[in-house]
Amino acid sequence: MLMEVKNQIKVMFLSLKYNIMKQMINKVTFITNIVFMILNNASFIVQWIILFSLKDNIGGYTISQVVLLWGIASSTFGISHILFNKSFELSDLIINGKLDTFLTQPKNVFLNVISSDTSISAIGDLIYGYICLFIYGINISNFILFTIFSITGAIILASFASILGSTCFWIVKGDIIADSLVNIMISFDTYPGTIFKSTVKIILYTVIPVGFANYLPIDTMLNFNIMNLIYIFAFTALIVLFAFFIFNKGLKRYSSSNLMSSRI
Amino acid sequence: MKIIEVKNLNKKFKIKEKEKGIKGSIKSIFKPKYKTINAVDDISFSVEEGEILAFIGPNGAGKSTTIKMLTGILYPTSGDMMVNGINPSKERKKLAYTIGTVFGQKEQLWTHLTPYDNFKFFGAIYDIPNKEIETRIEELKTTFELDEFINTPVRNLSLGQRIRCEIVASLIHKPKILFLDEPTIGLDPVVKENIRKLIKQMNKELGTTIFLTSHDIGDIEKLCKRVIIINKGKILMDDTMNNLKYHYLNKKIIEVKLKEKVNLQDEEGISILKSKGNNLKVEIDITKKDMADVIKLLDVDKIIDINISNIPLEDIITSIYKDAKALSI
Repeated sequence: MLMEVKNQIKVMFLSLKYNIMKQMINKVTFITNIVFMILNNASFIVQWIILFSLKDNIGGYTISQVVLLWGIASSTFGISHILFNKSFELSDLIINGKLDTFLTQPKNVFLNVISSDTSISAIGDLIYGYICLFIYGINISNFILFTIFSITGAIILASFASILGSTCFWIVKGDIIADSLVNIMISFDTYPGTIFKSTVKIILYTVIPVGFANYLPIDTMLNFNIMNLIYIFAFTALIVLFAFFIFNKGLKRYSSSNLMSSRI
Repeated sequence: MKIIEVKNLNKKFKIKEKEKGIKGSIKSIFKPKYKTINAVDDISFSVEEGEILAFIGPNGAGKSTTIKMLTGILYPTSGDMMVNGINPSKERKKLAYTIGTVFGQKEQLWTHLTPYDNFKFFGAIYDIPNKEIETRIEELKTTFELDEFINTPVRNLSLGQRIRCEIVASLIHKPKILFLDEPTIGLDPVVKENIRKLIKQMNKELGTTIFLTSHDIGDIEKLCKRVIIINKGKILMDDTMNNLKYHYLNKKIIEVKLKEKVNLQDEEGISILKSKGNNLKVEIDITKKDMADVIKLLDVDKIIDINISNIPLEDIITSIYKDAKALSI
């Protein structure tokens, strides 16, 4: 079992290495993709600076806390798209029957599929996340918590995208719903969680789990609470298990295709 | 020893039906209609270890669906199957260590990487230790003559070289069975011949069982001793190549060049396929008409050149595809 996990991780990192090697063939594109993503993210902060020039705090958040929020959101997005990029394209793979190659390999199909591609611009998101942390004020405990929450957030985001993508085993045009909900989660994670109340708040901690991916981690970084940490870990474990369950259940309905395809 | 055993295997697909036009599209939202297609319809067969089997049929016959069920890609609707003593639907991962697959229409290699890097990746997929992968790559490089291009990115290889690398990648873990789904599709005759040689060599030297689907009659004729013909999900024929030819070779083709035109008409056992000037092409059913009688009708003194040949295997198989009566073979 332990050997199996070790081998699975080895393949995942080999896949990541090869994907980065692929992108590095064109060095200029590789570097500009990363740099422009950092600049793109930075441009959003300008909007917040304007807002904070009109008001001292928004939902109890100061400008530096919003920077930290952007940092977590950005690195969460970065890690999920570096390690599990295909979880965001799962619906296309299922609808167009592109899982065949993965099914003939002696590895966990779900992990093999979602880790088979890397978004290079996401490296820019990850770097930007840590730049935000640096601006907010870096110290050892902040750095450790930030890294832990970036990883749990990335796992929650990728699992959420995978669960929605897996619905395409049952719903033919499920990709539209999946893309919309994932985009909603990504949009919501850059706003302070405190501005949302009652029903919306419940939705953001259940249907769209941005609360566990971003809001609770930010609260924990601002006011450390061990229970919050436990809730985050428990939810992460739960959503991962659910993602595996849904994918494996749906796989029995997979219908392949005879489309010409290549791995590029 | 039987390495593949299939009993009463079925695969049904539920397909949504839509009437034509925008009206049909709207109607299908509120009142969707479905039809069930029996892609594989109650088939049973077995394959012996070390055999090269041709599994052929026209497009949509159920060949690829069968291969996909045998390799664990698709779950069957019903029926039993065992591949190398493993049930593909229950132990997919365990099965994957013992089989190799090459889908001519689907690349599994990373196109931007060299074949060497690809083989290393596939080695890791099959949990082969690094040192062992190196030795294995070296062996396969020599056997399959990959020296020239093992360090060239796959995207820069010719189609023939690429298919060769696809086959090698599928052999990295020494599989007992290799499933080849149209491996020679799109290749020129010389490369096709090379790929066939490789397949034969692999079967002979490594003892690999080959399960082959192809539309290329050359592949079947040159590689396989046994053929299963499938159409509309059902097995039409499961026989040796020799028997297939024997049953159908009671028809001969005569191509003759004559000094002057002879008056030969269609009659029982004789059918004129082509007549142009003094040249004639005739199909003879030797169960109904003796060859000697036909030659007499042509008048031996008037013959300049004559060629008597069997019906091409391609025509035999096409007639089986078309003719439901073939079921009674």
